[in-house]
Amino acid sequence: MRLFKKTAHHDKKALIIGIDGVPYTLIREYLDRGYLPNLKAIVGHGHEIHQMNASIPDISSVSWTTFATGVNPAEHGIYGFTALRPYSYALSFPNASDVKAPPFWNILGKMAEGNASTFSLRYHKKILKSRRSIILNIPHTYPAYPVNGILISGFVAIDLEQAVFPASIHGYLKEIDYLIDVDAQKAHHDKDEFLRDLFSCFATRQKVVQHFFQEEPWDLFVACVTETDRLHHFFFDAALDEGHPYHEAFVRFYRELDAFIGDMVAAFRREYGEDAFLMILSDHGFTALRHEVYINSFLHEAGFLKLNPDGQFYERIETGTRAFGMDPGRIYINYRDRYPRGAVDKKEGDRLTEEIKEALRSLRDPAGTPVIDRIYARDEIYRGPLAEQAPDLVCLPHDGYDLKGKLESAGIFGRSVFTGMHTWHDALCIAPQGIAWDGKPSIADPADAIMRYFTD
Amino acid sequence: MDHLSVLENKSIFIIREAYYRFKDIALLWSVGKDSTTLLWLCRKAFFGHIPFPVIHIDTSYKFPEMYRFRDERAREWGLNLIVGRNEEKLKEGMGPATGSKLECCSELKTNALKQVIKRYNLKAILLGIRRDEHGIRAKERYFSPRDAQFKWDYENQPAELWDQYKSTVYEEEHFRIHPLLHFTELDIWNYVKREDLPVVELYFSKEGKRYRSIGCAPCCSPIDSQARTIDEIVEELRATKTSERAGRAQDKEDAYTMQKLRALGYM
Repeated sequence: MRLFKKTAHHDKKALIIGIDGVPYTLIREYLDRGYLPNLKAIVGHGHEIHQMNASIPDISSVSWTTFATGVNPAEHGIYGFTALRPYSYALSFPNASDVKAPPFWNILGKMAEGNASTFSLRYHKKILKSRRSIILNIPHTYPAYPVNGILISGFVAIDLEQAVFPASIHGYLKEIDYLIDVDAQKAHHDKDEFLRDLFSCFATRQKVVQHFFQEEPWDLFVACVTETDRLHHFFFDAALDEGHPYHEAFVRFYRELDAFIGDMVAAFRREYGEDAFLMILSDHGFTALRHEVYINSFLHEAGFLKLNPDGQFYERIETGTRAFGMDPGRIYINYRDRYPRGAVDKKEGDRLTEEIKEALRSLRDPAGTPVIDRIYARDEIYRGPLAEQAPDLVCLPHDGYDLKGKLESAGIFGRSVFTGMHTWHDALCIAPQGIAWDGKPSIADPADAIMRYFTD
Repeated sequence: MDHLSVLENKSIFIIREAYYRFKDIALLWSVGKDSTTLLWLCRKAFFGHIPFPVIHIDTSYKFPEMYRFRDERAREWGLNLIVGRNEEKLKEGMGPATGSKLECCSELKTNALKQVIKRYNLKAILLGIRRDEHGIRAKERYFSPRDAQFKWDYENQPAELWDQYKSTVYEEEHFRIHPLLHFTELDIWNYVKREDLPVVELYFSKEGKRYRSIGCAPCCSPIDSQARTIDEIVEELRATKTSERAGRAQDKEDAYTMQKLRALGYM
């Protein structure tokens, strides 16, 4: 028996399902082919499917952090999976403790005190009551931090004990052999075994999601499926090619994904009715990979980068280097006041930027096709207190050209085990009809729609 | 009193206090320069004879020079040496090339040490870590409690005053004591020189390379250096801007992260 009648306001519930790296265009195609009956029912039932822009650069750590915080990288501080320590070439791996803006679930949970952003300031006064959230497997939330509710970190989480909040749920995860992520290394030598792992990892993921969905009270439930991204990296060439040996497995994965989403949404509707808020989104798109493009080899050949043959990673940068690249298409100018072996004065920056842009625009593949689609200078896309840490230039390639930041490649073009690559312009968002998007939505926008739902 | 004597006195005071409060104590000796300095300070603290065991965690992947150095010093200084090995995992073939580096470290180092602590029912361990060597270590205290899971709850550390170290210990917990916390890398080398302390020859330049930090052979890489004597090392350190552990792949979390990212085509 309920002692107090719940108010309508308190009854608001939101279910957000993340599907890492799922492209809008592929979903449209699969909807047409009839592979995804449950998604079809959702899209035809009060929801619209939108093509969405990812973050720049379009990789999971940046995109999901942008989704979580509702602000651009110059405010949350994450520009990639890798960064260099201040005034050094020492590689570092930013994690959740480097994120400088609160995630929307902590604004909703009233857990963001003392950690404000332009986004949180819009909403924190409107949150009258702390809401409980379950946040499962969102990338770049490691190490797990306090939330009003439960958080299990996603990629790159290292130690399961540090990947859970509160610590008490560790026992349950251990018991069911929860895996944070499939071992992608396996795909490099045994694709079949990797695929088997992928399906079983997804099965465990579903089990955990369903467990917390049913057993725990919550107002906001966010769960992310990572396996789609992993499938795409190694098998994207099988997505539309019916003759491909892995096409059947690829489609089977999508049918399982569709069934999982169908079950979740049915349970959600059963419990909380038609007015509760549902959103399904990806953090970037995917397309078939034609060439890997080693941006540092290009910079080297063009005379911008000088490397010592010895040493590790960026420690190899030698005096005389004017610019270097980091994954995927980030380019940093080797400024004298920013790096130990810096070679460029601030006042030469603009001219050098133009010179690099010019060189990049002329980059052609062996068949003569241009590689780079757009080049952004820092201040064109990043606005906020942490813009100083941003790359000086970011390149977005044409589809098919996967920009890589590795330093030890011989030659500018190559291929390896990967058959899929990320795209910026082709993420997706399935959202309730009637949300006023300002043009084509971008990954920073969903947080706003979710917060408006809770505060209106 | 000169700088090095102040550091030395401080360390010896902590070592004696620790032994007074915990009789079931041992020294963890990696054979590197820091824990060898600590070993030396323990000898000084107890007038030449260390009254507790010295543990070497042997992953079986150390440099041959390190094994030789360990055995020579153990004999020369009459140490009660305990060699801890995770025999079970070594038999299964665990190594940095067979599993992840994280797993390798966690089995062959952390778990091997856990086994020794349990077998000898130790309540406290002396370690040669320094505050300047690694970001996370800056938050360490001289006396640092670990719980049964070996986790270090650094936000819940008791306030520490100079001679009011927290030293009550619960069942299943052990204390980590860090008498070298206030030494810097440069202090260590100056002290090694003053005391004429032997160190493993890997620290000195051979054919333009030397190791600045040593551990398991597969996970350490040398730096470019011409420093063949302690004086030259001190000179080099005064000029350098790179971090001491830059050559250690075994900054475990980073190694694991790197491996995960590379499997997906980054880096």
